[in-house]
Amino acid sequence: MSAIATVPEPRDEPDIGKLGMWTFLASEVLFFGGLFLAYLYGRTHWPQGWATASRRTDVVLGTLNTAVLLTSSAVVALAVACEEDAKRRRWTSRLLALTATLGVVFLVIKGVEWHADWHEHLFPGAKFALDVPGAQEFFALYFVMTGLHAVHMIVGIAVLVVLARGRDWARAGHLEIAALYWHFVDLVWIFFYPLLYLVERHG
Amino acid sequence: MADARDFHRTARMLAIAWIALLALMLTSLGSAYLKLGPWNMVAGLVIAAIKAAIVAWLFMRLREAGRLIRAVAVVGLGVWVILIALSGIDYETRSMTPAAVQRPEQLPSPRQGPPGRRS
Amino acid sequence: MISSYLDDGLTIRSWLTTTDHKRIAILYAIAITAFFFVGGAAATIIRLELATPQGDLVSHDAYNKLFTAHGVIMVWLFLIPSIPSVLGNFLLPLMIGAKDLAFPRLNLASWYLYVAGGLVTLEALFLGGVDTGWTFYTPYSTMFSNTYVVLTLTGVFITGFSSILTGLNFIVTIHTLRAKAMGWFKLPLFAWGMYATSLILMLATPVLAITVLLVIAERLFQIGIFDPAFGGDPLLFQHLFWFYSHPAVYVMILPAMGVVSEIIPCFARRPIFGYRSMAYAIMTIASVGFLVWGHHMFVSGQSLTASMVFSLLSFIVAIPSAIKVFNWTATLYKGSIRFDAPMLYALGFVGLFTIGGLTGLFLASLALDVHLTDTYFVVAHFHYIMVGGAVMAYFAGLHFWWPKVTGRLYPEVWSRIAAVIVFIGFNLTFFPQFLLGIEGMPRRYHSYPPQFQVLNLFSSAGAGVLAIGYLMPLVYLAWSIRHGARAGDNPWAAKGLEWQTRSPPPTDNFDTPPTVPDTVYDYAADEPDPTPEAAR
Repeated sequence: MSAIATVPEPRDEPDIGKLGMWTFLASEVLFFGGLFLAYLYGRTHWPQGWATASRRTDVVLGTLNTAVLLTSSAVVALAVACEEDAKRRRWTSRLLALTATLGVVFLVIKGVEWHADWHEHLFPGAKFALDVPGAQEFFALYFVMTGLHAVHMIVGIAVLVVLARGRDWARAGHLEIAALYWHFVDLVWIFFYPLLYLVERHG
Repeated sequence: MADARDFHRTARMLAIAWIALLALMLTSLGSAYLKLGPWNMVAGLVIAAIKAAIVAWLFMRLREAGRLIRAVAVVGLGVWVILIALSGIDYETRSMTPAAVQRPEQLPSPRQGPPGRRS
Repeated sequence: MISSYLDDGLTIRSWLTTTDHKRIAILYAIAITAFFFVGGAAATIIRLELATPQGDLVSHDAYNKLFTAHGVIMVWLFLIPSIPSVLGNFLLPLMIGAKDLAFPRLNLASWYLYVAGGLVTLEALFLGGVDTGWTFYTPYSTMFSNTYVVLTLTGVFITGFSSILTGLNFIVTIHTLRAKAMGWFKLPLFAWGMYATSLILMLATPVLAITVLLVIAERLFQIGIFDPAFGGDPLLFQHLFWFYSHPAVYVMILPAMGVVSEIIPCFARRPIFGYRSMAYAIMTIASVGFLVWGHHMFVSGQSLTASMVFSLLSFIVAIPSAIKVFNWTATLYKGSIRFDAPMLYALGFVGLFTIGGLTGLFLASLALDVHLTDTYFVVAHFHYIMVGGAVMAYFAGLHFWWPKVTGRLYPEVWSRIAAVIVFIGFNLTFFPQFLLGIEGMPRRYHSYPPQFQVLNLFSSAGAGVLAIGYLMPLVYLAWSIRHGARAGDNPWAAKGLEWQTRSPPPTDNFDTPPTVPDTVYDYAADEPDPTPEAAR
């Protein structure tokens, strides 16, 4: 397919900002990575609890959110491509704003989910609804994982909004770096989705 | 700087990638409703890994990145693998019998902390 | 007087808003010194208590809070930042011929984060302290401790960010800002040490961050991730905690090794023996250091299989360290050795680090560890490495680069006396603790059976001597700032780009671009001793 046929030459010296952001993202892998260890522990030791609890997550909203985030990644990647093309640069701001909006949509949907979870007594604590061992731990991780992810989303949205409103000189170079961060937040969600929403949906 | 044809190529690549990502997401969703036992998790993670590879390779431009940036990505991932793998050795080989406190029928539902707890 | 970075703005505000890596290094030095003495004060009370078998000086609760405070402050507020944030910040750009770090403003942010985290931690101590030990083991820290766990961990979390950003800065700096002629294998070993340290900071600290957040969440919301009654695992905490905390000790020692590798060649007038193997050893220590954390968990309930794996890997990680000790020693062979204060500290490092490292092998043996774990043997082991090693190297570096940083020379005689006092005091304090551990005295106990008193008395007496040794540099180094003889560009006739510029350097580091020599450490012992009289 001609779209992917030609690959630009790899550059020798990475620029400072990009190297900095990639290095930071490597550290973020370890940050979320600890949560994955906790998750793996729980899933292998309490499969019943995990399955019961996961079935109580809202798979429709979760899937919708995943689609929203994947789309936002594509949009921000397009924004970066527009920025690099002289004729299409004027679209960059709008695409950044769209990305940020999709991010806000994601957070709103998440809020709706959490609101429902609260009312169904799925927050860990005294009145937790499910009596299967491990279910409460699943939800403890669920809220920590999605909560930390949401914090990262908020930071990303703020950065995108600032860049959307900034002038060209402020954006040059920074856009690709911000996009890298956004893609990473998407990457984390890509793994959260099957782990949190799709545990034993059958039966 | 990229020229017009480059932009079209890039935009088309992004569109194809986006569709692929959504398709993979739906595949993942569908696979969760099949009774595959332990393979459900494997399927979910494999599909997620493919999606992640698309995002990293195409959106994050690892395709065009030099060796250093790719090394950074590999190292980050590799150290995480170490965390999981070596902890995993412990969990896989540890024999755990639940303590009396953990029998389901004995699980206390509300948990009170000791009085006067300070944070 | 031509102006230096010290003259570039004389107000406090200019210091607090600086982005000059050299000024930020000094800001760190001041903060770190303050925290060092707070942590040292806790240690003083501990050693006073332990002079007698009865727990008669402080209550047991207070004692628990004291050793926790000592550990938390010394590990996170002193040892981890000390050499990287003080010496690394100051020297790294100079050593590679750069004007500053890659992200100067981020550097200043790192300092503010460090101070904020430190203040939050101190506040927790003032409000009443925390009694879990610096290791915060669950379920005690999450479910039973009635002390300021959340506040202390918040402080630790904030400080962790400082570490991560510093590591980020150093990595990008070394990759992108080296002088054109400075390939990787012309980098001073101190720079290699900073690079490896920064890798660990970036990859291990985030795991501490998430662990700390989980403990805070469990305490605040009772979410039960480490609570067996809810399906959690207390050992999960230990895996996550030690995954960071073991590499963290390499964060403490690799910079120290880097300092020693700069000093020994200079004061033996010989190139470092085996430069490439030293560089490879540094990177190997950093990498393999990520594979050994389970050796802190041999008796915690970890599986035997995992324990054996971790034990084997712990033996392996000793090899590159041993290579470095051999190479430092070999560097001395046929050298023209001068016993200036930096060299005294550096030689002390080599000996004491060796003892500390060897005793680590004792602890890495499963069978021995069952007997020695949680005894004073462990306490002595890590103090030999952290204090006999890292702190001595920090002092070595302070003394070696003091003329460069301040443009002044300190009194030679007093500096040598202090180094000897530190060495004697250190061994008197900590060697008896090996014996106490073998005899079975547990750590973190504030009273003990009377048969342990003699050794404890030696240890406490030694602590007094050590304190004197640490206070002396405070006095004469401060004195030297105003009254010390002015230093030339290169009072030690050392190699390295930082010595090609003025003392103290100009704000932009170099008046004229420095020349990268063909080989690093091209010292020659048969050259006539070029050290000027003023430095003696």
